[in-house]
Amino acid sequence: MAAFGSLCLLIALALATYNLLAGALALRLLATGQPARIAPERLAETARRAGIAGFVAVTGAAFALVWAVLTNDFSIAYILEHSNRALPVPYKFAALWSGQEGSLLFWAWLLAGYGFILRLRHRTDVKLFAYAGTILAGIQTFFLLVLNFAAPPFSLLKGAIPDDGNGLNPLLQYPEMVIHPPLLYLGYVGFSVPFAFGLAALMMRYPGEKWIRITRNWTLVTWLFLTCGIFLGMHWAYAVLGWGGYWGWDPVENASLMPWLTGTAFLHSVTMQERKGIMKTWNVWLIFATFLLTMLGTMLTRGGLVSSVHAFAQSSIGYWFMAFMAVVLVVCLAAYGVQRGHLKNERPIESLVSRESSFLFNNLVLLLACFVILWGTLFPVFTQLLNGSKVTVGAPFYNAVAVPIGLFLLFLAGVGPLLPWRATSLKAVKRNFVLPVVALWATALFCLAAGANPWKDGVFETGRLYALVGFSLAAAVLTAIVTEFLRGAAVLRKQTGHNLFASLVLLARRNTRRYGGYLVHIGVVIVVIGLCGAAFNRSVERELGVHGKMSVGPYTLECTGFTQDSNDNYDSDYALLNVYKDGKFVFQVSPERRVYQASGQPQTMVSIHSTPEWDLYVVYEGTNPDTGQPIVKAFLNPLVGWIWIGLLVMVSGSLLALLPSLAPQAVALRAPAAEAPIGREASLETGNPGGF
Amino acid sequence: MPEAQGLSLGALLLIALFAYTFWPEETSTHQREKSRLDYLLERKEQLEENLRDLTFEFRAGKYPEEDFAAQRGQLEHETAALLAEIELLQRA
Repeated sequence: MAAFGSLCLLIALALATYNLLAGALALRLLATGQPARIAPERLAETARRAGIAGFVAVTGAAFALVWAVLTNDFSIAYILEHSNRALPVPYKFAALWSGQEGSLLFWAWLLAGYGFILRLRHRTDVKLFAYAGTILAGIQTFFLLVLNFAAPPFSLLKGAIPDDGNGLNPLLQYPEMVIHPPLLYLGYVGFSVPFAFGLAALMMRYPGEKWIRITRNWTLVTWLFLTCGIFLGMHWAYAVLGWGGYWGWDPVENASLMPWLTGTAFLHSVTMQERKGIMKTWNVWLIFATFLLTMLGTMLTRGGLVSSVHAFAQSSIGYWFMAFMAVVLVVCLAAYGVQRGHLKNERPIESLVSRESSFLFNNLVLLLACFVILWGTLFPVFTQLLNGSKVTVGAPFYNAVAVPIGLFLLFLAGVGPLLPWRATSLKAVKRNFVLPVVALWATALFCLAAGANPWKDGVFETGRLYALVGFSLAAAVLTAIVTEFLRGAAVLRKQTGHNLFASLVLLARRNTRRYGGYLVHIGVVIVVIGLCGAAFNRSVERELGVHGKMSVGPYTLECTGFTQDSNDNYDSDYALLNVYKDGKFVFQVSPERRVYQASGQPQTMVSIHSTPEWDLYVVYEGTNPDTGQPIVKAFLNPLVGWIWIGLLVMVSGSLLALLPSLAPQAVALRAPAAEAPIGREASLETGNPGGF
Repeated sequence: MPEAQGLSLGALLLIALFAYTFWPEETSTHQREKSRLDYLLERKEQLEENLRDLTFEFRAGKYPEEDFAAQRGQLEHETAALLAEIELLQRA
């Protein structure tokens, strides 16, 4: 299979290169009208087909690697390093993306898959898709060059072939690890598509904003994948790493967050371009930056530039990525330099207090957050260049800067939908802001009365202050969004006579994009509530013998014993703990500590009991080498479950936004005459302007 | 899978993909250049949507009467100018 896989990669490289060169030549011939021996349309068609054929070739290579891991072909060095005979089958699939070479192959396969779909849909807009397909071929060529020459996944082992492999990294042997990396990759790779369309539209001076409509679902799906990937990564860190948290500002976590931030900014600001013809230059650079940040993230994961718990695949291919990013930046700058006249806004933003400006502020704040995280992530690199030693910034830096920025973003998420387009009068502000402001202050007072105040044992804590502000803002934003739904539903109730629920459903179906977006914002609010709970975390660590007890919050944990288990893959030690609340037995937890046989590496498996109020999170940390006593650490983490519920709401909102809206009924409207070439009243079909 | 078999399979794939890519086909997909009229028709669609949204938000109580009238007037003038140009181009 190694020979077949290697040949497939070579074929794929040849096809991608042909796609790039023939596609570029065909577009050049079409643009200049130069005579040629072959019709440019025919040449473009062969380029498109080469792209489709390339997907088949990369699929062949990916299949060869999966086949090799499933059949324990340890003659391939990658399989030897990342699998073993006793590894369960789902984790054997995970071996495809658990190492450097495999994950790059997986990336190339996903990119080929996106390109395959794009090229099949080329009739939507042949020329735009031809440009975008050629740009994607350029990206694909880079990845295939790396796979063929810098990180070949089918390298054969020299010397005797061992009977068993070294096994998969224990950190990756967790069910979410079968889903989290593919989702993250789908998000990372997916941003290549809107990037290709954005660059294509700029290069060909695409008239109008229809390219945004064409790429809207691509962008949203990609964003959704990246969002799910990030949250699953958080859940994995929470359940596996055993430190009681879900986000450690690790460089690789940051690397996934940065394109998410710019991608989120792009999703918002393209709406401005589509609806109002503004923020064109901004959008082009946002999508360029998002793509470059996905490349930076990949480079950070693999290049060994920064140290990270995730950096399981370090090598010198960082230089390849640096060179590629430089080429991409030059292409983007050149395209912008030549075509920037095409990006002239149709009108300026008229008022600082308008929905347009709230979108702009939202973008600026998202970019500020991205810049801060980028600065913190690359700080060790800068300090090493300047001083010769790496200085790393930790969670306190990020929390001090990113949390206030996040709260301001939450504020904007509430304000934006309440502001009218173009300009806002004081009367409109009063009309729309009363209820959210009341909700904000009522919640703040309630939190203070309930003890969620910034003081703990008389000492002021910034985290608790942020939590208070977060809860209050969350209430205000939730009120603002719910008011939007209810106001809309009230109009439809009046028009149709439906009940409130039916009107809400109809409202969402008639404008899936807007109300799906609002639902995503509700999800964000729920996530923020969950994040605020971290300010009130508690933990206790104790050496706990049989019948030993420890208390955390309202729970008392009593150790009833220890047990062991073993299978082909790992040996386990369990601590069995009964949990009591108010003196009554409520449930049992059994945190686990594994030692994997192939690698000899230990791994904690946390026991989590989740309720809407809090998580009881128990870690069996092994035995104290001095006393021989088992060590148990228990955390009480308030509101963590809300984070995962918030994700589900965000996913539901995104799926709603992906659905087509119900078509409005068309009725005629007489529009007044304008100072136009023909000075008379014009007839305008507005599609039920009086309704919706 | 032995190396020779793998290479043979790869060679077969290469031939198949080469044939698919360069198979002579008479009908290539053509597309005419997007005209100003196409652009204006797209823009008209967007303005209609903006107008629908504005009216709906007014009905939902988000805009005071005078704000709504002013914004609607602006949008209608924009739309009328657009329609006039569309009509001119269609006549030509």
